[in-house]
Amino acid sequence: MATNQMGDLTSKMIFTTGEAADLCKISQQTIIRCFDSGRLRGFRVPGSRFRRIPREELIRFMKENSIPTDLLEGGKRRILIVDDDEQILELFQDVLAQDERFEVKTAQTGYDAGLLTEQFRPDLMILDYMLPDVNGNVVCRTVRQNPAMAGMKIIIVSGVVNQDEIDELLRAGADDFVKKPFNTEKLLSRVTELLAL
Amino acid sequence: MTQVHALPEHAGTPAPHSGGGVGVGGRPSRRGTRAAPAATLTRRRTAEALAQMSGNDASQARHIELILRQIDSLPTLPVVATRLLSLTASDESSARDIMEVVSADQALTAKILALCKQSDRGVRTDVMSVDKAVVLLGFNAIRNAVLSVQVVGMFDRPEPDGANKPGASGTGKPNDAGHFDRTAFWRHSLAVAITAEFIAAAHPGSADLPPSEAFVCGLLHDIGKLAIDYVLPKSFSRILELADLNQGNISEFERRIVGIDHHTAGKRLAEQWGLPHRLQDCIWLHGSNYETLPRLDHRRMVGVVGLADLMVRRAHIGFSGNHVLKQDPQELARKIGLDASRLDSIGQRVHEELERRSKALGLDDKASRDLFIQSIQQANQALGRLNAALDRRGAMASRQAQILEAVTAFHSGATPGSGVPDVVNSVAVSAAGVLGGGFYAVVCPGDKSDERTRAWLISQFSDQGKPMRSHLIEPPPEAPDIMSVDLHQPAAMNLMGILPWISDHLEGAPDLRSIKMLPLSCGWGTAAILLHDRPMLPPWQMLAPLAATWGSAIAAAAQHDGARRLGEDLAESNRALAEAQDRLLRNESLTRLGEMAAGAAHEMNNPLAVISGRAQLLAGTLPVNSREQKAAQTVCEQAHRLSDLITSLRLYADPPKAVRQQTDMGILLDEALKRVAREVRETRDGGKGAPVDLKIKSKLPVVRLDPDQISQAIAELILNAVQAQPKTGVQVIVQADKTAKQLTIQVVDDGVGMDGHTLAHAMDPFFSSKPAGRRIGMGLPRAQQLVSTHSGWIQLRSAPGVGTTATLTLPLDPEA
Repeated sequence: MATNQMGDLTSKMIFTTGEAADLCKISQQTIIRCFDSGRLRGFRVPGSRFRRIPREELIRFMKENSIPTDLLEGGKRRILIVDDDEQILELFQDVLAQDERFEVKTAQTGYDAGLLTEQFRPDLMILDYMLPDVNGNVVCRTVRQNPAMAGMKIIIVSGVVNQDEIDELLRAGADDFVKKPFNTEKLLSRVTELLAL
Repeated sequence: MTQVHALPEHAGTPAPHSGGGVGVGGRPSRRGTRAAPAATLTRRRTAEALAQMSGNDASQARHIELILRQIDSLPTLPVVATRLLSLTASDESSARDIMEVVSADQALTAKILALCKQSDRGVRTDVMSVDKAVVLLGFNAIRNAVLSVQVVGMFDRPEPDGANKPGASGTGKPNDAGHFDRTAFWRHSLAVAITAEFIAAAHPGSADLPPSEAFVCGLLHDIGKLAIDYVLPKSFSRILELADLNQGNISEFERRIVGIDHHTAGKRLAEQWGLPHRLQDCIWLHGSNYETLPRLDHRRMVGVVGLADLMVRRAHIGFSGNHVLKQDPQELARKIGLDASRLDSIGQRVHEELERRSKALGLDDKASRDLFIQSIQQANQALGRLNAALDRRGAMASRQAQILEAVTAFHSGATPGSGVPDVVNSVAVSAAGVLGGGFYAVVCPGDKSDERTRAWLISQFSDQGKPMRSHLIEPPPEAPDIMSVDLHQPAAMNLMGILPWISDHLEGAPDLRSIKMLPLSCGWGTAAILLHDRPMLPPWQMLAPLAATWGSAIAAAAQHDGARRLGEDLAESNRALAEAQDRLLRNESLTRLGEMAAGAAHEMNNPLAVISGRAQLLAGTLPVNSREQKAAQTVCEQAHRLSDLITSLRLYADPPKAVRQQTDMGILLDEALKRVAREVRETRDGGKGAPVDLKIKSKLPVVRLDPDQISQAIAELILNAVQAQPKTGVQVIVQADKTAKQLTIQVVDDGVGMDGHTLAHAMDPFFSSKPAGRRIGMGLPRAQQLVSTHSGWIQLRSAPGVGTTATLTLPLDPEA
């Protein structure tokens, strides 16, 4: 049950001081003291004095104080795959499914990808360069302009290799480039590497 | 002295007969050298007058009108003559009327009587009174006698400057002051009158030829000359001068100088004096061709006067000013319908008769023998002058022949399509041949195709016309355009005035003062200028055709040179165009291929990714090292091969730009060998591991190039050699050629080699001689492409069974 609760906790975006205390395995008082002193940033619920802490801020706080984040990050890593080819999406899903640590969602257009990055908050995005509605480098740039997604990794895949375009993508914020067809093992190792697993 | 003569010769061009002779041919020796300056001066004035006269037609018309009016204002005949004319014209007049008129003038009476005594009818010497004379001779004879006396007397006024000295008279030509010798003129007129009378008398049956009429007509036929001399004495003496010099027809020079001839002037005078029509027409028309005379009643009378004039002139009696004696009197007589056989006897009687009549008119008192001798002398002189004129014409003709010969020789020596220098040499040889050995140089515009420079080509020649030196010079800014150089005194123009600086470009420092310019003109200007040191040239009108020939030849050669250059440029452009077209076509097909490959890369790599990915996943589930797992792995590998092929196709069609950087060739070669080793290891194609021996023949330079591309290209060549199953191995020989500024990398194998077909297609994409094509045939085309983007090239030499040598050549300064 606790595991379940913890499991629920790990995927939450906003935490109460009690939840934060559980995750950090420290007392709620300490959390409150840190919150009040500003070392742990958050907000109060409008019309009440209840404190609330966003997920990113909590993780930052935990890392800052060398508190293991296993409980928060030890859960499945969210990976969003964006490609207009369904077969490719299925292939990626099957490849990534070999590793149980990944939770995978897919999108077929740039628009869907944009929605899912907000809702699903992926840790890593595998992005086809040529989408029906938008180019990969535009997606990269949009993602990078959003501070909330600063930590998200991006791997661009494409059937066309053009060094100039690759350089441009890397400048736009992509973390890596993989040419189709790809070696599945190499892809997996690259993903785990980027997610620092 | 000669120089003084040469100048006016060229100035006086308008008169075709006035030029030419003097400077070239023999001068009439009898005139002597002392007469020359005066004659030259006179000629120059004539030329001036001519120039003024030919100025414009309107002024000339006014001039003629002026002359005619002056003729009209000549004094009328004395009353006695007029009266006599009207009396004799009327049938009702009696001898008494005439006698009264004549007797009133004692001097006249005396002369009439003297005349009657000497006339053919005056055989009786006892005619002492006018009345007897009238009875004896008849009205008309009296009238004619009176007319003769009066007219002669009227013009026989004393010369104002007294130049008509006795010594000069009777020579039959103008004296040094140029005045008209009246005595000689009247002697001529009288001789014509007598001759005409004799001719008429010899044909008694001809009612239209009364002898006494013929006498008056002959006497007064040249009255127009007196009229012109009376009105314009200076002009008339020039006319005489010119007619004498050219041995020409005086009428021609009268018309040229004063605008009208003595025929017209005489007609006006006769009209004014109211002379009978018959007389008027004889005065007017005696010089015309008999055939062209209008159908007059007195046509034959006019003809007789003309015939008499001709006979007298041929006998050289007196002086008429006319020197043309072309016609044969016998023939003319037959045309007129006369008995030609009688002319000889008439001519023999003229001298005698002339002596008698002259005395009667108070003209002269020379004995007939003297007269005869004088006539002979004059005839001799005329003959001498004629000979001199012929000599001059002969000399001129021989010069002309020489010029023509030179033109012919020049043309026959000309080779069609010769360049300007060749033609200039021919011109110099030709000039030396015609003008004599000496200094020669030709100045002509240099290469006209380049408009930025206006260089001149100066070619200098030795005395024998051998080319000495020919070079291009840059004329100073003030130098005129050769084309527009216009020399008014072509043969004598001095170099000093126009191109003083040109001596800087002439060898042997010739004396500039002696060098003259001869323009060689063509249709549109001066094609070239011939510099020469000849003090005397043939007259310009003779030299001009030759100079034009030379000029045209040079101009034609220049045009030909230009056309040839243009042709060469055109051929070059065509070549470049063909190459560009070739490239364009190639580029176009490459562009299409590139577009296709790009599309294919996108569309095909997705399914290939699925195939390869699925195969890998499948392989992961199959038993390790099982056949199934290997099959799945093969599927994966082949999918990647296909993908690689698409990639290289795309790279070939749309090659990446070279990113040049300073590159150490040694490091680059190491990198290439590493690539080869990696490729061999990965593909297992060169599995036999043929040894690669690297020989570096010279110090390797640092070159600015794209190291990645070039090492790839070298690797492709080595890989190709390694895969050719070499018997011993592969040699890579690297050499930098500093002088040729290029680097060569030779890759030599002693493998299977290539046959002609393979060699021809070795650089084509996807062409592979290897069975079942384990490699995709893009290696050499790709290498070729990479090298050519560095302005280098690859050459293949191969023989089946012997091996292949691939030579990669790179310029050391590829961006230059």
